[in-house]
Amino acid sequence: MEDDMEGIELKPASMRRTFTLRNNVARQAAVNFMPSRKVAHTGTLRSRRANSEHNALLEASMSDAPDAADKQADIIVREMEQHHQLMEDNPLSEELRREALRDLPQGLTMKRNVRAKLSASVSLRSKQRPISVFKRMKYRISFTWKKSRDSFRDFVFSIELWYESIRNIEGHLGSAVGSYFHLLRWLFGLNLLLSILLISFVVVPQALHTGGTNGTSGISFLDFISGTGALEDTPLLYGHYHDGDTGAGPLRYDMAFAYFFTMGCAYLLFFGVLCYRTADSYRRHFIEPAGGGGGGGGGGVRARLAAKLFCGWDFGVASPRAAALAARALAHEFRELLNEQNRKTEAASFWVRLGRRSTNVVITTIVLGLIFGVQYGLWLLLSVDTFTDHREIYISLIITAVAAVCPILLNFIVKLEFYEARTAFYVTLARTWLLDIGTLILLLVFWTRSDMPCWENRVGQEGYRLVMLDIPVSLLLLPAIEFIRGLMFNFNVVKTAPEFNIAYNSLTLIYNQSVLWFGMLFSPLLVVAVTIKFLLLFYVKRESALRACQTGKKVWRAAQAQTVLLMLVTLSLFATLFALGSLFLRSPSPHCGPFRRYASALGVLAEGALRLPERAGLRRALLFVSRPGAVAFALLALCVSVYIVRARSGAQQSMARLLRRMLQLQAKDKDFLLSAIEKVSNGEWLYSPKSEEYGADSHTWKYLHEVRKPSNAGYHFDVSRLSHSFLERPRSYAKENRPNSYQTDKQKSNEDGDTDSSFSWQGSSSYLNQTDAEKR
Amino acid sequence: MGQGKSQFTEEELQDYEDLTYFTKKEVLYAHQKFKALAPEKVGHNKNAKLPMAKILQYPELRVNPFRDRICKVFSSSNDGDCTFEDFLDMMSVFSDNAPKAVKAEHAFRIFDFDGDDMIGVSDLREVIERLCGPELKLSDSEIQQLVQNVLEEADLDDDGALSFAEFEHIIDKSSDFCHSFRIRL
Repeated sequence: MEDDMEGIELKPASMRRTFTLRNNVARQAAVNFMPSRKVAHTGTLRSRRANSEHNALLEASMSDAPDAADKQADIIVREMEQHHQLMEDNPLSEELRREALRDLPQGLTMKRNVRAKLSASVSLRSKQRPISVFKRMKYRISFTWKKSRDSFRDFVFSIELWYESIRNIEGHLGSAVGSYFHLLRWLFGLNLLLSILLISFVVVPQALHTGGTNGTSGISFLDFISGTGALEDTPLLYGHYHDGDTGAGPLRYDMAFAYFFTMGCAYLLFFGVLCYRTADSYRRHFIEPAGGGGGGGGGGVRARLAAKLFCGWDFGVASPRAAALAARALAHEFRELLNEQNRKTEAASFWVRLGRRSTNVVITTIVLGLIFGVQYGLWLLLSVDTFTDHREIYISLIITAVAAVCPILLNFIVKLEFYEARTAFYVTLARTWLLDIGTLILLLVFWTRSDMPCWENRVGQEGYRLVMLDIPVSLLLLPAIEFIRGLMFNFNVVKTAPEFNIAYNSLTLIYNQSVLWFGMLFSPLLVVAVTIKFLLLFYVKRESALRACQTGKKVWRAAQAQTVLLMLVTLSLFATLFALGSLFLRSPSPHCGPFRRYASALGVLAEGALRLPERAGLRRALLFVSRPGAVAFALLALCVSVYIVRARSGAQQSMARLLRRMLQLQAKDKDFLLSAIEKVSNGEWLYSPKSEEYGADSHTWKYLHEVRKPSNAGYHFDVSRLSHSFLERPRSYAKENRPNSYQTDKQKSNEDGDTDSSFSWQGSSSYLNQTDAEKR
Repeated sequence: MGQGKSQFTEEELQDYEDLTYFTKKEVLYAHQKFKALAPEKVGHNKNAKLPMAKILQYPELRVNPFRDRICKVFSSSNDGDCTFEDFLDMMSVFSDNAPKAVKAEHAFRIFDFDGDDMIGVSDLREVIERLCGPELKLSDSEIQQLVQNVLEEADLDDDGALSFAEFEHIIDKSSDFCHSFRIRL
C-alpha cells in the first residue's frame, strides 16, 4: 500500500496519513471497543459491519487455518447473542433472527453454520413457560401474514408479465430504457385492472339489460374511429347507460348507483395508489439522497463524482456493445465533470448571469404564450360552425398532431435556454404536460358550456377519437422512423444510430393515460381501448428498441426521472378529478345517461344512497358541514397545521445541521485522541515529544500548551478534590505558578507518604514542564 | 434426474428461502440459470463447483468490468470458483429485494481490490480504469485528478482512503445505487 501511496502526489497531511494507514487495523480494533459501537442495535439490527470488521481482524491474524470459518461463526454468534430481542424463544424473535441472518454479509455455508449455533444457544437459554393466549394469537397472525406474503410474492413472480423481455431489453439498452418499459407494464396492469372493474360492474349489467342484439352491423370505418353513428348508442358512451333498475325478480341492480360508485371507487382508488407510489418514490429518490437537513445541499456533503464512480456502472447490462457504449459514456462524463470543475474557478460575472436569467424568463413567457395561443385557437376552431362532414375528426387530428409535434419543438426550444441538462429535461416535461392537460381541460370546458343535448357523449367520443388517432402515430409512424434510421445506420448512410428517446416515449404514455383519465367517466370502454393499445405498444416498442435503437450517449439518471414521470401521471389524475368535480358533478345533462333522474350527479349519493330528503337530521348536519363558514374553518385549520409541520421540519433541519457539525467535530476529536493514545503507547509521548514537529496550529501543540498548562484554573480546581496520589501530578506545575497550593499539597502528601503510584506521572509532567521552560 | 422434476427437496428450498432474498420459485429459476452455464456438471451434482471462467459466461457478468472481483467476493473458496450456493448468494444480493445496506456492503468489498478494508488510492484508480473500458483511456493526470476529487468529496476524516462508513455515506446520497447495482435473474 505504501508503494502505491508514494506513486502519486500527496496532500500536505500525507505523512500523517501513511502513518495512520499503517496502524489502521489496530485503530479499527480500538474504535470497535468504543461505547458507541457496543450499544445494542435496536430495531434495524445492523450488526453486520461490526462483524465483518472483526472478521477482517480475524483473517489478518489467522489466514487459512482449517477452523477459521468455525471461529468466525463463533464470533458472529457471540455478537448476535448480545441482542436480547434476537435470542428469545418465540416466533417474533425467530423472525428477527431470520432477517438478521439473511442480512449477514456472509456466504450461505457460514449463515447455516451460524444458524445452527444460534438455535442451539437459544434452546439452551430458553425457559419453557407457557405463553398467553393473546400472545399465541398474535404470533399466529403475524406468522400467517408472513406466510401469505411469501406465497403472494411467489405467485407474483410466476405471473410476472414480460419478465424475460424486459430483462432482455435491460441487458441490451441499460436499465434506463428498462424503466420506460416498467412504466408501460405498470400502466398496462393498472388499466387491465380498471377494465375488469368497469366491465364487470358497469358494462355487463347494461349489456344484459339491453339484451344483446344491438345493430352493430353497419359501422363504417370512420364511425369506428370517431365513435359516431352506430357506435353512438352502445356501451361505449355515457349516454347509452340506463338510469333505473335492471335485473329480474327480487334482485335489483340500480345502474345509476353502479355507475356512480364504480367510477368513484376507480378514480379514488387509483388516485390513492398513484399518490402512495409517487410519494414513496419521491421519498426514496429525492428526500433521502438530499440527507436529513440538507435543505438544498447546504449542510450535507454532496459527493457527485464519488457517486458516479460507485453507482455509475449499470450491472444489468449484458450485451458487449451496450457495455462498450456505457464505458464510453462514463469516460465522457468523467471528463466533462473534470472540465466543469476546472472551469468553475472563473465564476460567471453578474451581467452574464443576469443575461441568462432574463433569456430563460423571456423564452418561458413566450412558450407559455404559445401554449395558450394554441389553446385559444383550438377554442375558436371548436366554436366555428362549419358544415363539413366529420368536422370533429379534423379537430381531433389537429390535437393529435399538436400533441405529437410539440414535445419535439419544446425540446428544441429548451436548448436555446441556459439550463442544466437535468433541469432542461424537467422543464420540457412540465411544458409538454401543461399543453396536454390544458387541451383536455379545454375540451371538457367547451363541451360543458355547449348546449348539446348530451354533451357527455361528445367528451367521451373526443377521448375515444384521441386514443384511436394516436394509434397510427405511436404504433406505426414513430417505430417506422426508428426502423428507417436504424437501417440507414446499418448501411452507413448516417453516422449515429437512433437513440431510444425515453423522455418522448414516456410522454406519449402519459398523454394516453391523461386522455384515459378524462374520458373514462364518459366512455367506460375507453379503458379497454387504451389497455389493448398499451399491449400492442409494448410489443412494437420492444421490437424497435431491440432491433433499431442504441443506448443514449449520455448517462441517464433513471431513478429521479422515473419519479417525475409518475408524478405527472398523478398530477393529471388530480387535474381530472378537479375538473370533473367542478364541472360534471353539478350539471349532468338532463336527458341522457345514468344520472338523468337526479338533478346533479351528487344526487345519486344524496338522494339515492343516503336518502337525505327523508332524513332531516342528517341533511341538516351535512348542510352545516358544507356551509362556507365550516369549509373556511377547515381550510384555516389545515393551513395552520401545515404551518406547524413546516416550522417543525425547519427546526429539525437546523437541528440536524447542528448535529452533523457536532458529528464531524467528534470524529476529529476521536481521531486526535486515537493518535494521542497511539503516541502514548508507542512511548513517544514520554521520551521523545518532538515539539518542533508540530506547527503552532496543530492540535497536539495546543493540547500541550493550553489544556495541560498549569494556569488552567478548572483543571486545578478539579484536581484539588482528587485523591492524594493524583495530587502529585499538578505539583510540578504548581512549582512555578502557585506556590501556595504547592505548599499545602506537599504537606499533605508528606503526611500520607504514599506516592508510589504517581511517579510516572510526575516524571512525564515534569519533563513537559522542562520543555515548556526551554521554550520560554 | 427427471427434467421436469426439481433437484431440490422441500426442506432445501425452505432453507434457501430463509437465508436469501428469494422465494422458492426464484431459487428454482436461479438454479435453471446456473445449470445452463454447465448443463452436465450441474445435472450430476446440483451444487457442483464451477470454475470462474464458466461463471463469467453469465451474460451480465461477462461484460461487467468488475467480473473477477464479483466472483471472488462471492466465492466461498475465495478463488473465484462458485458453487450453486455461492451463485445464489450473488444473485440474492443483486436482486431487487436485497436492502441497500447489504448491497453496499458487497459493493464495498468488490471495489476494495487489495482487501485492506479501505478503498484507497490504488483501488480508486483501478475502479476508474475498469469503468472507462480498455479502448478509451483517460490520461494519467486525469485519473489522478479524479481520484483527488473523489477523496476531497468523500474522504471525511482525511486519511487518504474511504472507509466503509464513508462509502456508505456516498451510497446513501445517491438515488441511483439500487437501480444500478442490480442483476435480474
